[in-house]
Amino acid sequence: MSEVSETPHGDLLVILRHAPHGSLWLREALDLALVGAAFGQSVSLLLMGDGVWALLQGQGSGPLGQKGTQSTFEMLEMYDIERLYIDIDALEARGLTRDDLLLPVIEVPAPALSAVLAGHRQIVNF
Amino acid sequence: MLLHLLNRAPSSSPVHQDVLRAMGEEDGLMLIEDGVFGAVSAQVKHFPGLEGRLFALREDLEARGLAGRCDARVIIVDMDGFVALTEDAQRTVSWF
Amino acid sequence: MATTQATRYITVEGRDIGLDPEGFVVDLAAWTPAVAEALAAEEGRELTPEHWEVLEVLRAFYARYENAPAMRPLVKAVSQALGPDKGRSLHLMRLFPDSPAKVGARLAGLPKPTHCL
Repeated sequence: MSEVSETPHGDLLVILRHAPHGSLWLREALDLALVGAAFGQSVSLLLMGDGVWALLQGQGSGPLGQKGTQSTFEMLEMYDIERLYIDIDALEARGLTRDDLLLPVIEVPAPALSAVLAGHRQIVNF
Repeated sequence: MLLHLLNRAPSSSPVHQDVLRAMGEEDGLMLIEDGVFGAVSAQVKHFPGLEGRLFALREDLEARGLAGRCDARVIIVDMDGFVALTEDAQRTVSWF
Repeated sequence: MATTQATRYITVEGRDIGLDPEGFVVDLAAWTPAVAEALAAEEGRELTPEHWEVLEVLRAFYARYENAPAMRPLVKAVSQALGPDKGRSLHLMRLFPDSPAKVGARLAGLPKPTHCL
């Protein structure tokens, strides 16, 4: 949607670096973010590496009917988790643009990534 | 200053690229567990521009027979030094 | 979760509805409004139109997001659907004492909310 226009800030930054379906990392990261938000913390997400696949439109359930994470991402706004930072190089490296994504994101160029981390009181990496 | 902890070898995981991109100019990088494979001279090229703030844990180097192969650009710290570094840092960020 | 085992049953309109140890309906498809009435009656609660409109919000939330909401998103969802007067913790606490998110989810036939206490 936009580049970083305000100083990144928040109580908790959850970094998502894993794609959906292949492992439980992404789901556990989202669970932590939702619990934090349910307890009133101001939570941001940062998608890096294969984590950017999590926002691709048109996902479904797995071959055995395993639930995906798309609906959970769509639920984030109900928990007031609205700052979704995304590593723009990771997006481009996978041939994606923000038009391919489910949700509006804040695109972060590499030199600004460290400010996103520094702006949060707690950082958890998944 | 944030202290980043990396426990994967650059030869087996690209996660070190994400660490480098996420590091601020003052941040430190501590290689632990399999991360110390990145401290040998032939691999340290994966961590450019970190002179004076690239560390490796002595105990993990020794366990892997790497104590004599650690590149001179890497600062070796023992467990006490590691603890002191984490106390200096505002917070630590683990990468795996 | 589909793996949950029923540990007891409640008979509603001639059908046995399986409940998990915490009283949540095991098979979401087995829920009917009569099930909600029966579960409420067990706890001495009576469902008024004000309760029902919140249960509808809960079911719509689950249909859209595949998760039962914690308190904070429930308040937000109720506010969006029924207006800010009703989208308040106080209103929900009055309707569903103890824990609106959990009690509401149970009566609405949803699984236990995963992201609350």
